[in-house]
Amino acid sequence: MHSRPHPRRRALTLWSTVALAAAISLPGSVVAQEPVTGGTLVVAADSEPANLNPAIAASNGVFFVSSKVVEPLAEMAADGGLKPLLATEWMGSDDGLTFTVKLREGVTWHDGEPFTSADVAFSAMEVWKPLQNLGRIVFANLEAVDTPDDLTAVFRFSAPTPSQLIENALPAITSVIPRHLYEGTDIATNEYNLKPVGTGPFVFTEYRPGELFRLTRNEAYWDEGKPYLDEIIFRVLPDPASKAAALETGDIHLTAFSAVPLTDLERLDAIDGLSAVTEGYDGITYAISLDPNHRRAELADPKVRQALRLAIDPQLIVDTIFLGYGATPATGHIPRSATEFYSEDKPLYTYDPAAAEALLDEAGYPRIDGGSRFAVRLRPAPFFAETRATGDYVRQALEAIGIDVEIVSADAPGHIQAVYTDHDFDLAINSPVYRNDPAISTTILFQGGLPDGVPFSNQWGYDDPKMNQVIADAATEVDPAARVELYHEFQRIAAEDLPIIPLVEFTFTTVTNDRVHNVANNPRWATSSWADTWLAPE
Amino acid sequence: MARGTGSFILRRLVHAVPVILIVAVGVFLLLAAAPGDAVDAYLAQTGSGDTGFAAQLRQQWGLDESLPVRFLMYMESVVTLDLGWSVAVSAPVTEAILVRLPSTILLMTSAILLAAVLGSVLGAVAAMRRGSPLDGTITTIGLALNAMPGFWLGLIFIVVFVVGLGWFPLAGMSTIDGPTDPVGHALDIAWHLALPVITLALTYMALYMRLMRGAMIETRASDWVRAARARGLPSGRIVRGHIARPALLPVVTMLGLQAGAMLGGSVVIETVFAIPGLGSLAYIAVSRRDLPLVAGVVLAGTVLVIVINIVVDLAYARLDPRVADERVRSGPNR
Amino acid sequence: MRLGGWIGATWLLVVTLVAIAAPLLAPGDPLNLVARPLIAPFINPGFPFGTDQLGRDVTAMLMHGARVSLVVGLAAAAGAIGIGILVGTLAGFLGGRLDTTLMRITEAFQTVPTFILALAMVSALGASTGNVILAIAISSWPATARLVRAEVLSLRQRDYVDAARMAGLRPFDIAFREILPGALHPVVALVGVTVGGAILVESALAFLGLSDPNLVSWGGMIANGRAVIRTAPSLVAIPGIAVALTVLSVSLVGDALGTRLAPRSRAYA
Repeated sequence: MHSRPHPRRRALTLWSTVALAAAISLPGSVVAQEPVTGGTLVVAADSEPANLNPAIAASNGVFFVSSKVVEPLAEMAADGGLKPLLATEWMGSDDGLTFTVKLREGVTWHDGEPFTSADVAFSAMEVWKPLQNLGRIVFANLEAVDTPDDLTAVFRFSAPTPSQLIENALPAITSVIPRHLYEGTDIATNEYNLKPVGTGPFVFTEYRPGELFRLTRNEAYWDEGKPYLDEIIFRVLPDPASKAAALETGDIHLTAFSAVPLTDLERLDAIDGLSAVTEGYDGITYAISLDPNHRRAELADPKVRQALRLAIDPQLIVDTIFLGYGATPATGHIPRSATEFYSEDKPLYTYDPAAAEALLDEAGYPRIDGGSRFAVRLRPAPFFAETRATGDYVRQALEAIGIDVEIVSADAPGHIQAVYTDHDFDLAINSPVYRNDPAISTTILFQGGLPDGVPFSNQWGYDDPKMNQVIADAATEVDPAARVELYHEFQRIAAEDLPIIPLVEFTFTTVTNDRVHNVANNPRWATSSWADTWLAPE
Repeated sequence: MARGTGSFILRRLVHAVPVILIVAVGVFLLLAAAPGDAVDAYLAQTGSGDTGFAAQLRQQWGLDESLPVRFLMYMESVVTLDLGWSVAVSAPVTEAILVRLPSTILLMTSAILLAAVLGSVLGAVAAMRRGSPLDGTITTIGLALNAMPGFWLGLIFIVVFVVGLGWFPLAGMSTIDGPTDPVGHALDIAWHLALPVITLALTYMALYMRLMRGAMIETRASDWVRAARARGLPSGRIVRGHIARPALLPVVTMLGLQAGAMLGGSVVIETVFAIPGLGSLAYIAVSRRDLPLVAGVVLAGTVLVIVINIVVDLAYARLDPRVADERVRSGPNR
Repeated sequence: MRLGGWIGATWLLVVTLVAIAAPLLAPGDPLNLVARPLIAPFINPGFPFGTDQLGRDVTAMLMHGARVSLVVGLAAAAGAIGIGILVGTLAGFLGGRLDTTLMRITEAFQTVPTFILALAMVSALGASTGNVILAIAISSWPATARLVRAEVLSLRQRDYVDAARMAGLRPFDIAFREILPGALHPVVALVGVTVGGAILVESALAFLGLSDPNLVSWGGMIANGRAVIRTAPSLVAIPGIAVALTVLSVSLVGDALGTRLAPRSRAYA
């Protein structure tokens, strides 16, 4: 089944080669955009995740490698909708208690076993709901998954779950793993977590720790004629400068997630044969957020928080720290690119240090002897160079309006414990992710009454009944239009209270060799399956 | 000699056991004091979860037990040499370490040998030309190299020799899809390790240079060299056999003492040159707060240093037969 | 070596003066963004060494970074030597079980790859200047302890010690007032090496991101410059040269002092 190339593929290769040859031989003509089958794409690995199973660890670092091997039910399409992958149709019931999915026929796992609804039911009940960081939120009320036949899965919920939410979450949380390899084992320590088996266009072939991941073409992939590439190799190159050098020497063809330092982008883009691309990340938008600890009396005052915002110039962060690549000033924690939910009907803030100083005076915190008003400790998250640099800038900006800032830094786990468990901070700079629906990882930043020790949640001591109500209502509102309206209200309250202060929203940059085609052609390109990516011959 | 050697090694290993235990306890205390645990590190990577996710992971990974219980579990794992599962790299700790150990051993031993050889040769030259400008130049260059941060020298070398001249490969241990025949593969690895080994060696060379130089100057003036000269032995043979050979003794001693420092140096070198070895694993383990893995790496490093010291002591005994019996009994590095 | 000693001393004097006068020579916070990013060095008289990729003044950072490197280097070395003297004197003087235990502990610290130990300590306890100094001191004391113990062991037998004991001096006084001063001579030889080593370890820790974020350090500047080494190699080259020159000067001065104070030691032939 895997040995001989499919006759249709051989024909395609032949004709595309002829077409390409014809196109190249015509002087001055544009090279035909016919995909070429074959070639090895070499990519700089983003990180070495501890777990390669995207059904358990739904994170970008894992998706970068594993989404080529393990597929979700649907992926984001270029037009903002969904592209069917393992699921061909889906529909939620009017009462929000069932969600029916029709599955694709004729799909097999990489080891030859057939893909059926039993795999989906197993993945949902044994992995997405109990073990996956995001699945626990979306499938909190999942009761059971019925499988009336091999190609139908019916999700049954104990409380109304908006189908809008499930659809938005499909690309990130519904990676299906093979039941026959996981059932009866300890899923968390299963060996296949380091060598995933899926239904995707590429088979996981090799992992050399500290060196590379190797994926090879799945000859039996359900999408006829794809994938085009023979192999994808993710090379581990931890040094950002060496990634830039590797692009120049041609040792690698692609870097994603802004792996190359922003200061190198202009130089690399200018090189013939390399391009810096900011598209393809809209579905993975991050924000830089200044998060105050409301347990500090000064910071519990909305006027003070507004003053903080007025003292900071987000455009400067965009221009100096992001060098203008893939970043814009933020108006809220739902980004502009989230066209389904974004609303500008809310208070907007500018850069006005004088107004900031006036507000602080008004709030009762004047400058003492013309010097500083009060002192705070600022913890910038160490996750990105940009969050750390923003910390440096914010310190400067706040010192200018009379607030003394001491920066406290820690590595990633230290930061998480300090901010989200110990609440040992006055201000923190964090980088929350918007995952295509506010209910997934955004509203949890505003929801009151949470226990301590929940990372990336509202640990600021903010608890507003109006806000809590809006969040609870929207989480169970089945009518899409009404749900959108509720999230507009959510954005209004967030901008008025400013419990946490959005500064900048940003995505990433891909640097690619021009020989690579179909780059960035969907909003989650870097974390999608690359079945249609192809490499032009040299 | 063989039986003496065997029991010597055994005695040294037994002697090392309390050292290893002290180190193990220290590692536990250190990580227990650290803010943020393995779950925090994992969540930093994977991102959000719901309210119960962190608690569930802690329970899964045995991190919700009290401190004394965790200490006992930990010491048991150390004593039985079963360090368990590493959540940082999703593999058994022992396996994770053994996979990466050869790279570091290769890197370190090559660097140590290169540093010792280069240092001894240059030190000998300096000693023979003592007081001349050549002597001063050699010594200063050695000191200057020693004063440079290893990672800085590595970065400069990469810019000049890899990106600029393209003489060496960019990173890693071997070329992807490179030669698979033993000779080709070995040469490929050597080509990849050349620059990191040279960088590491150059920064530690100075010490051996000074030792060799100093020792040679001293022995040169000693009685028995004068006696040999008086007997009319050829100058070359005197230098090699009577001056250089005993002068190597302090160099060899230093090899053992330097092993720990060079293993530390390999952490940054491995990071700069993307070598998948023990040093970079140490960095991953610490930043992901993976106690079993940190313990494993520290213990493996300690054992490596102890082994190198034993080898060095044996070499020392071979070099200086006068003290072979006595040294074998008590070891020079006590 | 005489000439080397003088050159080294001169450079150290310059660095110390600059470090002390940094707030006057480069007022304000060196971490502030003050100009256009990536101005090349030696072009703009207002910014002699240029600016980094965020627009910080490299000259100001160099000057303030000198303070951190010197303070950490000297404090850590002082700590290491202090601990080493304490442990070595106690072990050598008291002997017996205590000696064996202390030496076991010393050996443990000497066998553990010291940089990994420092790395683990600073990662675990947080990257503040105090923790960095502590971590470096803890990983460097064994050498001094060994040396001092050896000297104390040999001095213990001397006549003047017996005389002191017969005069009724308490053991503590004998150890620290009579023996210790004599045992310190060889330690002088270690000072240069320890200070130089401390500065290098601090820069390595800063390179790995483990330095105090409120302060500039030369190692941190190198780490920062690493990201733009292709576009602006001077950001890596200049602080690295500063570290190398300073450590080299410390070695040369240490050598020169050692030759003066312990001329018969074979290390300084």
